Amino acid sequence: MATANSGSPSPPPPSILDTLGEEIVRIVAPVSACMLLVVLLTAVLSPSSGGPSSILTDIVSDSTDSSSSSWVEQLGAALLNSLRFVVLITALTFLLLLLFYLRCTAFLRYYMAFSSTLVLALMGGGLFVLLLHRFDVPLDCFTFLVLLFNFAIVGAVAVLGAVPIAVTQGYLVLIGVLVAYWFTMLPEWTTWALLMAMALYDLAAVLLPVGPLRLLVELAISRDEEIPALVYEARPVVEHHEGAPTAPPRRRLWREVRGSSPNSASNLNAYASVATESQGEEARLVTVEEGRAGETLASALSVPLLEQQLQRAREDDDDGIGLGTSGAIKLGLGDFIFYSVLVGRAAMYDFMTAYACYLAIIAGLGITLLLLAVYRKALPALPVSIAFGLVFYFLTRLLLEVFVVQCSLNLVMF
Amino acid sequence: MERGGEVDEESNPLGGSRAAAGLGVPATPFYAWPTVDGQLGLESEDKAVEYARRFFFWGFFCLPWLWAVNCFYFWPALRGWPATSTPFPRLRPYIVRSALGFLVFTVLLASWALTFAIGGEQVFGPAWNNLVMYNVARKLDLTLWN
Repeated sequence: MATANSGSPSPPPPSILDTLGEEIVRIVAPVSACMLLVVLLTAVLSPSSGGPSSILTDIVSDSTDSSSSSWVEQLGAALLNSLRFVVLITALTFLLLLLFYLRCTAFLRYYMAFSSTLVLALMGGGLFVLLLHRFDVPLDCFTFLVLLFNFAIVGAVAVLGAVPIAVTQGYLVLIGVLVAYWFTMLPEWTTWALLMAMALYDLAAVLLPVGPLRLLVELAISRDEEIPALVYEARPVVEHHEGAPTAPPRRRLWREVRGSSPNSASNLNAYASVATESQGEEARLVTVEEGRAGETLASALSVPLLEQQLQRAREDDDDGIGLGTSGAIKLGLGDFIFYSVLVGRAAMYDFMTAYACYLAIIAGLGITLLLLAVYRKALPALPVSIAFGLVFYFLTRLLLEVFVVQCSLNLVMF
Repeated sequence: MERGGEVDEESNPLGGSRAAAGLGVPATPFYAWPTVDGQLGLESEDKAVEYARRFFFWGFFCLPWLWAVNCFYFWPALRGWPATSTPFPRLRPYIVRSALGFLVFTVLLASWALTFAIGGEQVFGPAWNNLVMYNVARKLDLTLWN
């Protein structure tokens, strides 16, 4: 049976560069796609061209009148909002940890599917209606309902994992896009403060010994189970040098785990109520809604971890978790969401800042993957990228823009 | 549903070792993977048939997209379209029926949507305005734009 290859010289086995590059591309591509979609949505649905007014501005009390209150007050309000958010996420992560500890895994998975259905139906439906209005597409409500129903239900099935990998990945990216788009409607100061707070929270939660994400990951490792969370798993690179398809590769869960932290926030219900009643919501509820539309947001938000799962038993580097080994890189949906929020908010200022932030985030992601290869344990994916993104945004906005504008005005460049 | 989590430790390439074991009856021929994911998807036809049947059943609840996902998932079963010999004899009827169902539903839905969009008020009269989505959203106060 193995004589098929005897006649012709077999191609050289793929070197580490091939597999490494392929793995990196398979994680950078969906992140880029998510960011691109969010930027397109913010550009197309900007408030000036018939898009939504920032509905969350009414709810999140950033400042009632941004021109009248000083920047200190605005900053204070923004920091307060983000602090509330972080506290909420921490509480929810601990709740998730408790449920996972009590082995309510089935409940968590079904809750994840349910909450992602709600996210797809409500946020997706809202966005769909906005797009229909913006482009004046005369779609009737029956077709709309059928399409939305299909989309949401198959999304639930995809999150449970019973569909092809491509469909699951597509749905996860779409959930990331939807949540990130609605997050870009936060007031500006709150967005930046929130991003900074989430990066710091991520750093603490994953690296500190008492951090909830680290505990979650260690618990999952000790039980050799997967964390019930919304995690984007890049398709593992499968070697094709064997001639005939052989037995499926041995899969081992979790040699070392990285966790995404799904928080079981049941705030999807809270969100639903927020969506229908526009006014009169407290900021507390809003942060709840922001934070987590259930498991989906939870994992997205509190997750920002990278993981690698050992997928094949290789002779040389069996137990390692790093880019060189045969493992699938996992990135929590929270990373997708916060990267996209950063780039989307940058795009709302100008496309120049969007490009700069995109490059900064991808550079940060590359550095995080490199650290992953070096340290081989769960790492937070948010801090480096968000730090770069923030620095580049403010530098571009304050310094580069002036330079470019002056060059253009004087016909020197661009 | 772990993708390949249950390791099929004794799955044998090309049914070689089973035949060698002297059973004489070839096991489920392993020269093709039933799902589009190949090595990463479902391993055996039995599991695939169960999934396909469940997708097919639930697709009748006004979920043609589920039928489409079904067809995409088990694409290798559809590959030899007019061929008589197929590697997945039990799987194929479900996939074929799912594909037919999806096509029929799409044609019906598209024709309704296009009639609605193109016909507009001339065909439907003033009721058209009550059925268009953005008006419905406006009426139900779901609008987020000003």
